[in-house]
Amino acid sequence: MTEWGWVAFAYVVGYVSFLLYAGSIAWRSHKLRRAIERAE
Amino acid sequence: MKVQTRVRTWPWVAIAFSLVVALALSLVSPRDDVQGELVRIMYLHVPAAWLAYVAFFITFLGSVAYLLTKHLRWDRLAAASAEIGVFFTGLTLVLGMIWGKSTWGIPWTWDARLTLTAIMFFVYLGYLALRRTTDDQVLRASRAAVLGVLGAVQIPLVHFSVVWWRTLHQPPSILRPDGPAIQDPLMMVTLVTGVVAFTVIYASLMVKRIELLHLEEQLAEIERSTERPVAGEAVVVPELGRNP
Repeated sequence: MTEWGWVAFAYVVGYVSFLLYAGSIAWRSHKLRRAIERAE
Repeated sequence: MKVQTRVRTWPWVAIAFSLVVALALSLVSPRDDVQGELVRIMYLHVPAAWLAYVAFFITFLGSVAYLLTKHLRWDRLAAASAEIGVFFTGLTLVLGMIWGKSTWGIPWTWDARLTLTAIMFFVYLGYLALRRTTDDQVLRASRAAVLGVLGAVQIPLVHFSVVWWRTLHQPPSILRPDGPAIQDPLMMVTLVTGVVAFTVIYASLMVKRIELLHLEEQLAEIERSTERPVAGEAVVVPELGRNP
């Protein structure tokens, strides 16, 4: 793999995994709000 | 019911802005004479490692504050920070393996820095697992706080491992006794901006993660208050002869 290929691979891994983690926080938050509203 | 915790959107805006700035600077920064373009992985790897230190140090502070005050707000702070720290330690390890494979030719070696970072990752993963062993908030907070304090011993061990022992991993880039190793001003600006951007990301994630903990507690509280008695459980009989 070329140097730019390695750089691109690292950034894709880093950014995608971060977006998945941040997205999981947003999703869990959304589901909890819905559950609290339903519980009432 | 109106959900008590309000939705804050500014953390997402701050995170998006920080990610774009960090990415843009890492692309315009010059190539390195020795590492070539591969040096750009440093602008992601070093800030991620920095965040791991910051996150576990905040977990340590939150744990100490909880043990001193017994206030659950400090436990929430420690828990939120530990989860973010585990994510960024994992990311540091993965990015380090990619960088290692591309520069050293191997993704992993059992040198002091890599091994201690992996141990730190698993210790804090254990911290998160420990929190799931009981529903008792006070017991959970006390157990976790003890591990949160003990676990912090690893932060200086990991950081100074490249100074104290001979390692394949390079010495620190910025936080070193004889000053920063990076001479090029634009490279330095890129790295420092990356560290600042990731710190903003950490603060923003903390706001959202603590918000999530509040919501979890709120739901648990509602579920406790609406629990119905089941067969075999003591049922309180209302007093007779009383007007409703």
